Amino acid sequence: MSQGEPSASIVTLSGINKTFYRGKEPIHVLENLDLDVPGGSFEALMGPSGSGKSTLLNIIAGLDRPTSGTVRVAGEDLTKLSDGQLAKWRSQTIGFVFQSFNLIPVLTAAQNVELPLLLTSLSAADRKTHVETALRIVGLVDRMHHYPRQLSGGQEQRVAIARAIVNDPKIIVADEPTGDLDRKSADDVLTLMDRLNKELHKTIFMVTHDPSAAERASVQRKLDKGALQ
Amino acid sequence: MNLATYARRNLFRRRGRTILTIIAVTVAVLIFCAIRTFIVAWNAGADEAAADRIATRHKVSITMQLPRHYIDELREVPGIQAATWANWFGAKDPKERVPFFAGLAVDHNTWFDVQQDMKVSADVLAAWKQTPNGAILGDVLARALEVQVGSRLVITSDIYPGDWEFKVVGIYTPVRKTVDRNTLLFRWDYLNNDPRAVYSKEHLGWMVSRIAGSADSAALSRRIDAKFESRDDQTMTMSERAFALSFLGGFSAVLSAFQWVSLGILVIMTLILANTIAMSVRERTHEYGVLRAIGFPPGHIFGFIVGESLLVSLAGGLVGAVIVELLINHALGPFMQDNMAGVFQHFFTPGWVVAVAVGAAAVLGVVAGLIPAVLASRLKVTDALRRLD
Repeated sequence: MSQGEPSASIVTLSGINKTFYRGKEPIHVLENLDLDVPGGSFEALMGPSGSGKSTLLNIIAGLDRPTSGTVRVAGEDLTKLSDGQLAKWRSQTIGFVFQSFNLIPVLTAAQNVELPLLLTSLSAADRKTHVETALRIVGLVDRMHHYPRQLSGGQEQRVAIARAIVNDPKIIVADEPTGDLDRKSADDVLTLMDRLNKELHKTIFMVTHDPSAAERASVQRKLDKGALQ
Repeated sequence: MNLATYARRNLFRRRGRTILTIIAVTVAVLIFCAIRTFIVAWNAGADEAAADRIATRHKVSITMQLPRHYIDELREVPGIQAATWANWFGAKDPKERVPFFAGLAVDHNTWFDVQQDMKVSADVLAAWKQTPNGAILGDVLARALEVQVGSRLVITSDIYPGDWEFKVVGIYTPVRKTVDRNTLLFRWDYLNNDPRAVYSKEHLGWMVSRIAGSADSAALSRRIDAKFESRDDQTMTMSERAFALSFLGGFSAVLSAFQWVSLGILVIMTLILANTIAMSVRERTHEYGVLRAIGFPPGHIFGFIVGESLLVSLAGGLVGAVIVELLINHALGPFMQDNMAGVFQHFFTPGWVVAVAVGAAAVLGVVAGLIPAVLASRLKVTDALRRLD
């Protein structure tokens, strides 16, 4: 895993607007939003339901496009990339951690972690090394041959984190990563994310409802009615 | 692990549903092959008809007869190498050991000169010529009627009254698998001389001619028919294949219906498969969203879905092919040949039918997966991620 010092902005959003339509009625989710996230930071984004947190996360992660404005992430202007280019960019730049883990139930922990590497030109042996490294970081190398149903919720989320870091992305985006976990498991996951940030200098952008989870981040932002407070 | 691992593992995520779908494809392939085998077997005689033979019958109907002297005039037509004739006897086994068989009164002097795909030895032919009520049978019919050379055989007819007694003088040997081994041949003069056959006196049912290999059979047929054009009994001459097909007569509509049914079976199979794949895709939409999020392009999602559909259909197709081989070619086929040889001389599923069935299963498997695959691969990542089971 590559390491580096906290640096200049890795995420720069300027004048972001995002409008959805319910029938013909426009719903302005994000309005003229600007955001600057320094590289290597651990940021938490809070806000009430419907405030636009997940939409903002999706735009940063290249899963969605703004209605207007510019999105520059890891040196790339995402608004200029095609869907195919975006997919490739995501596979190289972003690690995803979801609330409900989203592991593939028919694959073992190791195979789930290996999934993003199937899009690379790495050999099977190199992929195995990467998978073992990622699972060692999250402390689950001894469970690599277990299926998701054989793991606890906390372990599943740690496998999901291993999958998020296995291709050494610059940024990890986490959408309510502790939302489905008990307190102990949530603490373990947050500690792990803290380590990823501090030891591997991954930029982490986390959406959460949980104030205690947000406290673990170095920067806390609040989003309300489409605008950052 | 590779990309195929994921597609393969997905196959048995809903084990029961996948197995039922494979069984559905298997049954569809089995029915398709059975229907096609039936059609091929039914047409086998016509399909393998000799190219150097033409048949001449009454222009109005095969059931109407021609004057005997027509055969002499036919032989005078340039291009005819040899000609013979036959009358349909409507033979029936009074003991009902055989449900149906062909009984033909034929010209014993010329029959085997023209019908060269039935062979008898010179001794048998000599014995036949010396025995007015002599009969020559196919081996399957002889076995079914429990007779051998020298046996007395009594049959009835649905055309001529009373019992008809014959002496078996020989068993003919077919030179091809599709030659009927369930036919009874006896001398036309035996029928012609019997007072019960006064209706057929000096008449023949149809004439068969062997023509020179280089002859234009269509032109020759026209010349023959032109020769009898001004007579009371006009003729219709055709290739042996067309003649064999004309025997099928009204049954051709049923065969045509069977062809459509066999295609309908494939359509039903495709719909079942498409339904299964659509359900699977619907259940996994969220998962496909996750794959898209971590960088899998739409083409991979498309490939996973179409690949899964192809694997299911191919598995069903191959299982079906194995069952066709075991059930039809090793069990039903031999049984039909031994017990229904009069109708099916060669009841086997040809390799090309199995290949078409498995190929169709594979192609339709891809077709069944196309729409769900296109829809899933075009779904926005954020929409897919929002979709829960």
